[in-house]
Amino acid sequence: MIMSRPLARVRSSLSWWPALLLATLVLLAVFAPWIAPVDPDRQNLLGRLKPPGFEARGQLFWLGSDELGRDVLSRMIYGARVSISVAFLSVMLSGIVGVSVGMLAGYLRGPVETVLMRLVDIFLSIPAILLAIITVAVLGPGFINVILVLALTRWPRYARVAYGQTLALADRPFVTLARAMGASTPRVLFTHLLPNIAGPLLVVATLEFGLMVLFEAGLSFLGLGVQPPTASWGSMLSTGRSYVASAWWIATFPGLALFLLVLSANLIGDRLTDQIGKGR
Amino acid sequence: MSLLAIDDLAIGAADLSLVDGVTLSVEPGEVVALVGESGSGKSLTALSIMGLLADGLQRQRGSIEFDGVDLTQLADEQLRSLRGAELAMIFQEPVSSLNPLAAVGDQVAESLIVHGRSSVADAGREAIDMLRRVGIPEPERRARQLPTELSGGMCQRVMIAAALISRPRLLIADEPTTALDVTIQAQILALMSALAEEANTAILLITHDMGVVAEMADKVCVMYGGRVVEQGPVEALFATPRHPYTNMLLKTIPRLDEEPGQELFAIPGNVPSPRDWPVGCRFRTRCDRADETCAERPALTGQLHQVACHHALRGDA
Ligand SMILES: Nc1ncnc2c1ncn2[C@@H]1O[C@H](COP(=O)(O)OP(=O)(O)O)[C@@H](O)[C@H]1O
Ligand SMILES: [Mg+2]
Repeated sequence: MIMSRPLARVRSSLSWWPALLLATLVLLAVFAPWIAPVDPDRQNLLGRLKPPGFEARGQLFWLGSDELGRDVLSRMIYGARVSISVAFLSVMLSGIVGVSVGMLAGYLRGPVETVLMRLVDIFLSIPAILLAIITVAVLGPGFINVILVLALTRWPRYARVAYGQTLALADRPFVTLARAMGASTPRVLFTHLLPNIAGPLLVVATLEFGLMVLFEAGLSFLGLGVQPPTASWGSMLSTGRSYVASAWWIATFPGLALFLLVLSANLIGDRLTDQIGKGR
Repeated sequence: MSLLAIDDLAIGAADLSLVDGVTLSVEPGEVVALVGESGSGKSLTALSIMGLLADGLQRQRGSIEFDGVDLTQLADEQLRSLRGAELAMIFQEPVSSLNPLAAVGDQVAESLIVHGRSSVADAGREAIDMLRRVGIPEPERRARQLPTELSGGMCQRVMIAAALISRPRLLIADEPTTALDVTIQAQILALMSALAEEANTAILLITHDMGVVAEMADKVCVMYGGRVVEQGPVEALFATPRHPYTNMLLKTIPRLDEEPGQELFAIPGNVPSPRDWPVGCRFRTRCDRADETCAERPALTGQLHQVACHHALRGDA
C-alpha cells in the first residue's frame, strides 16, 4: 500500500506503543509493592464503592474503591502481576513441551511422528477453554494449577508449528552436514534447528501470551483461577459485574487493562510476523 | 588392509533399486575419484558410508568396512562417534550446507566440540587457526561472521576447514566445486588435497570432471546406472579405457591440442531414470557396441584394472 510520507511517519511512531505498553505493564507488575499506592488487600468498610478521585483518611482513591473499600488502582497493579506471570509461565511451559514434541515428531518421523501428531490432533479438537475448565475443576484452583492447566491445553499449538517448520528444514544440507560432523540428535535439534525455526515460534508465543491473559482472566472470573483475596483482573471483573450499574469503575478499569494488554501482545505478534516475512 | 572397502553395496527405495552392487576400496592416504554422470548413484554411495541416507532409502545388501569394521553393523551411536572424527564429508552447495544462523568459527569447531576433543575455548582457537590454513583472510573477524556474509568460495573453504579440523582418516567430497565459479575451482581442490595430504587423510572425491580426476586421483571408479562399470589406477584407465562409457567420458575432456572452436564431445542421450534402467548392462541403450549378449548383466572382472562389459575395448590386451 502506498502511504503519504507524514502518514507513514505517524504509523511508524505508533508502531512502538504496543511494546511500550507491554513494557510498562511488566514494570508495574514487577515493582507493584513500590508503585501501588496502598496495600491491595486493605479494606476500608467506610470507604466502600467510592468513585474515582474520592479521598478518605488522607488516601486518594485514583480509580475508586471496590465493595470492600479496597483501592481499585492498587488491586489492578497487583492484578497485573497475576496476569503477566501466569501468562508468561504458561507460555514457557507449553512452549517447551510443544516445541520438543513437534520437533521430535518432525525430525524422527515414523511411528514417533504418528503417535505424537495424533495426540496433538486430539488435543486440538477439544475446545481449549472447556478442557481448561474441566481440568481445573479436577485439580482445584490456584496459581500453580492454572499454569499447569493452561500449559496442558495450549502445547499442541506450538507442537504444530514446530513440527511443520522442522519438517521443512530437516533435509536441508546444513542439517545433513551437522550430522556428518557427528552432532547427536539433541544437538541437531536444539543447537542447529531450533534457532532456525525460532521466528515463527516466537510469533505463536506472543499471540498465545495475549490469549493466556484472557484465559487466566476467564478462569478467575469463573472462580477457578487464583483465589481471593489475591487480586486478579478476572476476579475484579467478576465482582465488578454485580455493581456495574452503581459502581462502574470496579469492572471497567481492569477490563480496559486486560483489553490493552491483549491488544498489545497481538499487535507485537503481527509485527513479528511481518518482520519474519521480510527476512525470508 | 584397505581403509575403506565397500563390497556389493545395494541401495534402494521401496521396490526401486538405485545402487546395485558397488564394490570399491580406498587405501590410507589415497585419492579415489568416483565419477559418472549425474543420477548414477555417486551421492547415495557416499551418504551410505556416512550412514546418512535420506528417509525412505535403505541399504539392501553389501558391507562397508572402514578400518576393518563393518559400518553397516554398527549401532547409531557408534557410527556417530566416527562421523566428524574419523570420517568427514563435504557437500556440493557451500552456502546452504552451513547453518545460516551459526558463526562460521563455531561451525568449524563443531566436530571438536561434539566429540569432546577440545574445550570450547580451545576449539575456538583451533577453528581460527584452521580458517587461516584454508586461506581465509582476517580469520579472527571472519570466525564471528555468518555464512551469508561470505562468498560461495569462502563458504567452501569453511566447510573444508570444518571437515579437516579433526584430522579424519577419510574425507568424502561430493562435487565440492561444482557450485563454484570455474576460476576458483582448481584453487579449492588444490587446497583440499594439500591439507588432506598433510594429515594423511584419504579422499573419496566425487566429480564428473575427468580433468580433475586426471590431476588429483590415484584411482578411479566409474559408475553408471547405480553400478561400477570400470575401475583402476588413474594412468591405466586414462591410457586404456576399457568400458565404452569410460571411453566416452574421457572424450568429454577439452584438450589443449585441439583446434579452438571445435565442438566438445557430448555423450549422446541422457541417463535414464532408475525405473527405466534396462535389464542386463544398463549402458546398452546408449552404447554403440551393444548387442543381444548385453541383455545379460556383465560381471566386474580383472585384477587392478576392472571392467564390467561384454565387449570391452582391448587397449592393453
Ligand atoms: N531419496 C530418494 N528417493 C528416491 N530416489 C532417489 C533419492 N535420492 C536419489 N534418488 C535417485 O537415485 C539415483 C542416484 O542418485 P545420486 O546418488 O544422487 O546420483 P549422483 O550423485 O551420481 O548424481 C538418481 O536417479 C536419483 O533420482
Ligand atoms: Mg550427486
